[in-house]
Amino acid sequence: MKGLFDRSNYLPSEFERKQRTQSFLLCLLIIVFFVASSFVFFYTLYSFADIIGSIVSASPDVAIRDLIRNVPQFLLFFMTFWTLLLLHAAFRKVEGKWEKSIMKDAICIIAFGTVTFLYIIIMRIAGTYLSLVEGSPTALYPLDMMIYSILFIALGVCAILYMKKWQQKWPLVTPSRGPIAKKLRGLYCTFVAFWALFALYGLSGGTLTIFIYDFGSGHDFYGVMLVLAFLMSAVTIGFWEFGYNELKEEKKKELLLPLASISLCLSVVIAALYFLSLGLDLDAPSNAGFGMLPVAFAASVNIATLLAVLAPVIVSVVALVKGLIARKK
Amino acid sequence: MNKKIFISAIPLLSAVLSSCGNTYNYQEHLDDYVRTMKFHDQFNVLQLTDIHWNVNSSTLASKRYLDKVLKESKDHIVATQGNGAKIDLIEITGDQFMLANTYHVRTFVNYFEEKADEYGFRYAVIWGNHDRHGIYNASWLARQFERAPHCIYFEPDDNLYGRSNFVINLTEDGTASTATKWQLANLDSGASFSETAVSPFRDYDYIRDDQVDWWLKEHEKVGDTVPTIAYYHIPQDDNLKAWNAIHNDNAAYKHKLFKLEGFADNGDERFASKFIKEGRNHHLKAAFMGHAHNVDWTVDYEGVVLGLGVKTGTELYYAHIDVNSEDPAMKEGLLSVGINENFDLIGASLVTLRTGEDFELEHLYYNERATGDFAKWVRW
Repeated sequence: MKGLFDRSNYLPSEFERKQRTQSFLLCLLIIVFFVASSFVFFYTLYSFADIIGSIVSASPDVAIRDLIRNVPQFLLFFMTFWTLLLLHAAFRKVEGKWEKSIMKDAICIIAFGTVTFLYIIIMRIAGTYLSLVEGSPTALYPLDMMIYSILFIALGVCAILYMKKWQQKWPLVTPSRGPIAKKLRGLYCTFVAFWALFALYGLSGGTLTIFIYDFGSGHDFYGVMLVLAFLMSAVTIGFWEFGYNELKEEKKKELLLPLASISLCLSVVIAALYFLSLGLDLDAPSNAGFGMLPVAFAASVNIATLLAVLAPVIVSVVALVKGLIARKK
Repeated sequence: MNKKIFISAIPLLSAVLSSCGNTYNYQEHLDDYVRTMKFHDQFNVLQLTDIHWNVNSSTLASKRYLDKVLKESKDHIVATQGNGAKIDLIEITGDQFMLANTYHVRTFVNYFEEKADEYGFRYAVIWGNHDRHGIYNASWLARQFERAPHCIYFEPDDNLYGRSNFVINLTEDGTASTATKWQLANLDSGASFSETAVSPFRDYDYIRDDQVDWWLKEHEKVGDTVPTIAYYHIPQDDNLKAWNAIHNDNAAYKHKLFKLEGFADNGDERFASKFIKEGRNHHLKAAFMGHAHNVDWTVDYEGVVLGLGVKTGTELYYAHIDVNSEDPAMKEGLLSVGINENFDLIGASLVTLRTGEDFELEHLYYNERATGDFAKWVRW
């Protein structure tokens, strides 16, 4: 376990100062866009939950109306998320793939931005939007979405310009990683994508809980456990992706089993305490903070909550099994 | 050292987690739960329910619709009761918001404050299950209503179930020192709860026993013969009992209007509220609620009129009434209202209180249409 805190076991530390600075800045940008994505994702989830609510209540016309109105909001999530993917591609720098990935991601961001911009103009002309500032979810909606789309288009253009022109002058010198094994690539990417969604939900839910949970209303034990359970899912992805994955290969093998055991213990304890807090105070979610649980509350089911709480446990179990298999080999 | 820090942190943690605050016993503060207004013959209470502003709503379009409903209601009151008559009170019976944020709350409160000035009404706000369901702190939401000058709202840190329970006593001169002519009981019917920590589903909440006991005490204070109307959000199991009695056992209760979905009540005998049963013996004349948007069915259930208000606005879901429908429930509803064209089941409900124990109930179906808006009043 000592190796975890030894900088020489991490890839970037082998490189020059400039490389470390680049890695640090990319990491920082990833964190910024991860947080931004998580909050946009939360709003998207809210919007989606309402639309699903209309569908299950046999009002597809209302669902379609709301969907048409909120396309820019959904596209904002894609723009933010794709920026996160672009930064991640730059950070991981997978040999022989990263240049293509960045170009693809940049084109997607520009496409989403352009569609958003044009969509709002067309819908305003068609009268779907009564005004460019007709309100909800913000006072400036949909004008604010137009501004965001311009910013994201600019960001995508900058990424392309960097790859085409500026790279020679300011090369990306962060360490390169080996490609993901071909036969498991599909499974790995699907798993990571789902995991990322839970992490986004967890981070936004956990952070928002601190501000919107009604602490002081007699349901605080549940509130604290809700924050911890949510943050656990974000922390696990942060740790495994940006901590463990940055280790050198030999260190990875050595530390997988002990880290998976700790991760499993922590996530099981938090999940158990979460269920205990709920068991002791069954009225807590709806009376003090169901804002964080949109799907659960909208559909009167607890499944989303259960999944969010159990996701870190599942991730830890997978890591533990991998560790055990590796040890056997 | 570490051990010391850990031990000293325990009481601090306990204090944070317990957070009892200054919770007071409602039985010792019954007067705090009372608001008063001046009563007059033909006191008009407009019920708006399930407005459901959310992240997908166009607040501009929704405000335009509310403008029209308020104007139509005012015009109707003047036309039927004469100049000078007005909307005296608006009861907003829950689910003002669902999946909303602080922008929606501020816009909503500002809108009703502006309209209260324009029309001269006051408005009372009741919690629905979805009002707890937004990107804001529930206490912050409560403070917005408490601070609004025209809003009637009360949320103490008490030992009574629900965030907000209060009565509006309609008295001779509008103060608590004169006799109460009518009482309006506003109850928080909660949201939902898990039966166990790992239940896959949630149960709808219900009016708890302590809330019923509280109301009985408030009612006793003004005199047990004072007629009362209750407003809350989630229907209790009495609505379904009345429906079943009529449709399964041919009970001869007066009933009218539409029931195009279930009442979305708790539906479990273990969680049946005693509110209506107790109210029947204490001059509860009627109980009006919301929650199930496709229902405005109203019944005189053994002396207590139970009715769901007409859903206000087009958010989330609402029923399209089709005159050619073969659905028996739709046919039954259409027959009771005598409308011969298609319309949407959205609008408002108006209760007019008379001196004595009588009241009138009318439902407004208001639809915006490009060819001219549809507005129909149906008397219960």
